[in-house]
Parts: sequence; C-alpha cells; structure tokens
Amino acid sequence: MLLWTGTCSLKTPGDASVVRFFFWKLNVCVEYLFFKNEMAATVATPVTPTEHDPDRCGSEEESRGAEAEESGQPQQTGPGAAGSHSRLSKLPLARIKALMKTDPDVSLASQESVFIIAKATELFVEMIAKDALVYAQQGKRKTLQRKDLDNAIEAIDEFAFLEGTLD
Amino acid sequence: MAERPEDLNLPNAVITRIIKEALPDGVNVSKEARRAISQAASVFVLYATSCANNFAMKAKRKTLNAGDVLAAMEEMEFERFLEPLREALEVYKKGQKGKKEVSEQKRKDKEKKVDSENDKSREEEDEEEDEERMEEEAEGEAEEEEVEN
Repeated sequence: MLLWTGTCSLKTPGDASVVRFFFWKLNVCVEYLFFKNEMAATVATPVTPTEHDPDRCGSEEESRGAEAEESGQPQQTGPGAAGSHSRLSKLPLARIKALMKTDPDVSLASQESVFIIAKATELFVEMIAKDALVYAQQGKRKTLQRKDLDNAIEAIDEFAFLEGTLD
Repeated sequence: MAERPEDLNLPNAVITRIIKEALPDGVNVSKEARRAISQAASVFVLYATSCANNFAMKAKRKTLNAGDVLAAMEEMEFERFLEPLREALEVYKKGQKGKKEVSEQKRKDKEKKVDSENDKSREEEDEEEDEERMEEEAEGEAEEEEVEN
C-alpha cells in the first residue's frame, strides 16, 4: 500500500482556507480546514497504488513552488512562513526597511509604517507601468521601453520627484 | 555595504511580477524599462520615507508610524493610494494580532516544557492544552473582533 504525503501551505486573508484535493482515480474528495496563520498541514492518506495521483499532487506543488521561487523570497513556502505577509505585500519588508534606514534622519520605523511603504511602492509600480504603457501604445508598440517611462515622468506631475534620479 | 542608497534594489522578480499583473496580456517590458522602474521604486521608498520622517519630526517622535506614511502620501500627491493603503493596513493589523497570540502561546509552552521535563504525566496534559489553545485562539480572535466593533 502506498502512502502519499503532501504539504499544503495556503494562506488567505479569510478566517479559514479550505483545500480540496480531488483524487479523480479514486473519486474521493477530501476537504481539510486550516485555521488562519496555522499554515502547513501534512496530509497523509492511504492510497492504493496509482500513477496519476502523485503526478497531480506533484504538479500542484510544483506550480506553487515555482511561484515561490519567482518571488525570490522563502516567505510563501512551508510551515515556517508564519503568515507574516499573507499575500498582502509582495515586496520584502526587510529590504524596504534597509532602504529606509539609509536615510540618516530616520532612526526608527514601526512595522506598520514599513508595511505601508511596501504596499505604496507596489501601487506606485503599477501606476507608473500603466502610465508608461499609454506612451508605448501611442508609438504603436506592445513593448514598454525606457523612453516611455521617461515620457511619463516628464508629463505626470506626481512623478516629478523622479526627474534626474534614474540612470 | 551599499555605496549609495539606490544600490539597494528591490528583487527584480517581484518588480517584474507587479508590472506584469498591472499590464494587460500580450504587453512586454524591456530590460531597461524594468530596471528603470525598479530604480524608480527605490527612489519612491526613499522619498516617501523622507516625507514621512518630516511628519514624525514635526510631532516630535523618533519612530515613523503608519499615520506619518499616509500623511506623506497626501503630501506627495498620491491621494489615490490612501484608500487601498488604509484597507491593506486593516488586514495587516489583524494578521499581526493573530501572530502575537501564537508567539505568546509558544513562549508559555516553552516555560511549561522546561518545568515539566521530568514529569511524564504532564505531557499528556500539554497535548490536551494544545487542542484547547487552538479553540481559545479562535474564540479569542472572535472576542477581540467583537470588542473592536
């Protein structure tokens, strides 16, 4: 008898996240409830020897693993992630804090303030990307280029602080 | 150590993901544009920090807090960020509260375990307490939310 174990780490802002694994071969549907911030659960279920289930679970884990690798931070994987970001902030708070501390006038920053700056930076990146896209589309291009960004910075008041700061 | 503050760049992969999610499908971003956006983001952090710090200093505080940052956003003419930032802050604060409870419980556990190292019978009690604690956490959170409301 084969035992399949998988680790599931899913965090949602809601109070509970429901994970459903469908074992099509066996037509078994298993539901597990995970409480908020108690992210990882090791699931062990006795499974009669099949070829597809491990692949299916493997692919799910792989896609999750790929996402975690892309983010470049170990925050979203495994039990140790401690839900510290819970998909709220994609940017690493430690790096943001390090940036903030390069300002000699800044002595201490609360965790909340670091988080808000991280979130604001995210919104800023979205905003500048969308505004630069307008200029790319004007040039009938589908690829955003450096000059589109320069145009956006020049044209939009909120981006005035960026003038002369980029290489 | 970084030579300039701007050398501390945010991870490229994350920046790329944020850009891609903001733009419609089929749109690409050149490497130079990506690098420039990443740099702009770093400058943004520094500018926002500096602005927020001014508000903190005005209030004679040495620690930046969330309010300072929100005030800085207004000052920088990014009022459109204020609503989503406030919402995100609420969710974040709730998450932090949950974490505190977990870490406090862990601390209590450690103390108990040190005491009960020689006492085997207590181990069984701990297991029961684990389950009770899980329930307490859920209840505790519900209570706190009620208190807030």
